[in-house]
Amino acid sequence: MYKYILKRILFLIPTILGVTLIIYAVMNITPGDPAAQILGPGTPEADRIAYNEKLGYNDPFLQKYVRYVKNMVVNQDFGISYVTKQDVFAEIWPRYVITLELSFLGVFLAALIGIPLGIKSAVNQYTLWDTIPSLLAFFMAAFPAFVLGLILLYIFCLWLNILPSSGVGTFAHFIMPALAISIPPAAQNFRFTKSSMLESIRQDYVRTARAKGVPEKEVIWKHVLKNALLPVVTQVGLSLGSLICGAVVAEKLFSVPGIGSLIVERITYKDEPIIIAGTILISICFTLVMLLVDIIYAFIDPRIRAKYTNKR
Amino acid sequence: MKKFLALLLSCLMLVSVMTACGEKAPADGDEGTEKVLNMRLAKGLLATDWAATTNTSDMQITWVQVFEGLYGMDEANGGYYELLADDIKVSDDGKEYTITLIDAKFQNGDPLKASDVVFSYGVAKENPRFNYVTSFINNIEAKDDKTVVMTLDYPYSAIAHTFWSIKIYNEKEYTAAGDKFGTVPHKAGTGPYYIDQYDVSTGVTLKAFEDYHGGKAAIDTVNYKVITENSAAVIAFENGELDYFTDVPLSDWENIAKAAGEDDCDLAKGNNIRFMSINYLSDTNNGILGNEKVREAIFHAVDKDAVVKVATAGYGQVAYEYMPSDYVATSPKVSEGKFTTYDFDAEKVKSLLKEAGFTDADIAAGINVGTILTYGEQTADKGKAQIVIQDNLKACGLIANVECAEAANVTPRMYAQNYDIAIFADSGNYDYNNIRQQVHSESTGMYIVDFAAKGASVEGTNKTSPFNWQRLEELVDLGVATADTAARYDIYTELWSIVMDTKTILPLYHQATGIAWSDRINVETINPTYYHLVDFSWAE
Repeated sequence: MYKYILKRILFLIPTILGVTLIIYAVMNITPGDPAAQILGPGTPEADRIAYNEKLGYNDPFLQKYVRYVKNMVVNQDFGISYVTKQDVFAEIWPRYVITLELSFLGVFLAALIGIPLGIKSAVNQYTLWDTIPSLLAFFMAAFPAFVLGLILLYIFCLWLNILPSSGVGTFAHFIMPALAISIPPAAQNFRFTKSSMLESIRQDYVRTARAKGVPEKEVIWKHVLKNALLPVVTQVGLSLGSLICGAVVAEKLFSVPGIGSLIVERITYKDEPIIIAGTILISICFTLVMLLVDIIYAFIDPRIRAKYTNKR
Repeated sequence: MKKFLALLLSCLMLVSVMTACGEKAPADGDEGTEKVLNMRLAKGLLATDWAATTNTSDMQITWVQVFEGLYGMDEANGGYYELLADDIKVSDDGKEYTITLIDAKFQNGDPLKASDVVFSYGVAKENPRFNYVTSFINNIEAKDDKTVVMTLDYPYSAIAHTFWSIKIYNEKEYTAAGDKFGTVPHKAGTGPYYIDQYDVSTGVTLKAFEDYHGGKAAIDTVNYKVITENSAAVIAFENGELDYFTDVPLSDWENIAKAAGEDDCDLAKGNNIRFMSINYLSDTNNGILGNEKVREAIFHAVDKDAVVKVATAGYGQVAYEYMPSDYVATSPKVSEGKFTTYDFDAEKVKSLLKEAGFTDADIAAGINVGTILTYGEQTADKGKAQIVIQDNLKACGLIANVECAEAANVTPRMYAQNYDIAIFADSGNYDYNNIRQQVHSESTGMYIVDFAAKGASVEGTNKTSPFNWQRLEELVDLGVATADTAARYDIYTELWSIVMDTKTILPLYHQATGIAWSDRINVETINPTYYHLVDFSWAE
């Protein structure tokens, strides 16, 4: 098992190298240059070229890439932002933490809403407990976070006036953006949990448990839910990964200074150091989340655990 | 084990969320019961150094509230006024300026000295971004602590814009900070506010400077919060989270005006004008845009009223001038009728196209005039104008595609004359010499129409300019060398008349600037772009 975890952690290295290479290549082929953005449109071409030269922007692609990776690995240096002249890591880290907080809160809420409703719905199939949440989930899964965010803003800011409309600072600031990003994955969690539960409920071992006179509560919690949780865990892990990358809409709408909105903003300036470092951090987090999902998988499913135990 | 793991993970997640959410953002500050003015920043302030800020929302802070130049700019009435300069004497040949400074202090307590002015102009001259306002300065030196002598290469009547554009640093504070200057709060300006807290992500807090030379500002603390989305900013204002809201999205103007009340809002005529240009050198459709009649037909096909209605939600104004003549004394007035104007006239479009050799059948089938290019968001005013113009042209038998992309990608194409028809913005200052960038072949930016036909787009071809571009450039040089306002007016009238006759640049509309403020404050003077916080006070 430990060998498996170590192997997965080591797999992070080529993943990150691959991500940096792709980002570097993409940035290299897109038009525009940082000097044009930083110095403004009226700047003579010679000055723009000189400025780009100073930034090392005109260096050959591979030279730039190797230098970047070397600085990142040897000196833990992600460079200096072309736009703000600030240390990239110092600028990115607080925003990265905010995005993580927002995403974790979003996933937590999505799980809190979606999973219990999914269980209730499966257990009470064809009742109102099933049809109403199913109908709502149908709509909510297709609801864009931006529209949902605007609705929340109107309700909680303009109408009820109980939550701040933008920024960060207190827990209250996180409620609306977290809700906005959590509703679509909550709907998905609901559907996954429900279908997975329904599949498990119809298994022979459940029928056997019932025939043996095991109380219904115990049948659901001990026999059905345990087996139904596997695909749900994967779904929750995937939604966390996609929220880290996809919280940008909520970040922009609620002015949450997260990493997604930073990357989007700096793309227009061709602020390569920020874009690349931000993408690397996101990909590291995504890979770690996937690793965590696999580990939880192994703990939940005795068959997987046994497979690795046997190997050992 | 499983239960323990689940519990541990849940606890970790909750703790991480709760602890970090409890952190207080610097922008919110520890205001306690102190009254704080809440402002919006559409983007994070990218630097605390005025020279490093390029977008308007940043410049509204660094160029006006924190730093000051020798001159200030009077947006409300047009023109410039002495700010850090007490008196300026010009030599007879117009090449030497002797500037006496006022008694002012920097925010760090140091007195303003001539050496600071010399230092600041030196820094600006080394920055290529400011070449357009410093390239003619030959030498600048401190005669004594309060007197600066500036020598120019040639007389330059638009120097007032230089005096406004170049802000004065405290040399000691700037050099002590080294490379860090601009990335952290400082007290290197003479403006009415200094930067107390700065975070590029969340915002900036300004504090009133006690010893400001114009008297301490009435509002002590100003908190700028980053709100990127317009819709969120509108809600924040309606919700009372913002006290002053500039550049209100015009589609929301009615709601905002209602929320603010009629005494607390204003719709100002912006000094930034949107233009449409035609690249007469384009090869599209066998060089169709090189035909003067076709260009004139395109101009007459544009329904400016419809463009204003859609692009500015009806709040803008149709434009005919290069700069608003009500703000700039040397700007030729359309009311005098001394230059050609082009208004929507569908019949004239048809007759012009026929004169250009096209038949009714050609017009009915649609004549390809290439692509209308612009930058910014498709939903912003230029993007909307582009769609209206495409529709206008189609209604008159002219077919055009549209292309709208990031400014970073589009503007270099415009400056390289690699386009057919373009929509762009210009004129954000108050000296008519600004037109140099559009009409002088030695201009390094905004030379969107290659009047002289000597740019990269014509290299290796036999194309020549059909225009009297030499006269255009003579007039630009003459205008900037002439001090007399009336004489400059005549020069620029001739210049603009020539430009209009080329049928390559068409002023479209004046953008409107919506400004609204809460009933907590009084605003003494309304400025379309560069508001002055020092003019604000708390309402009784």
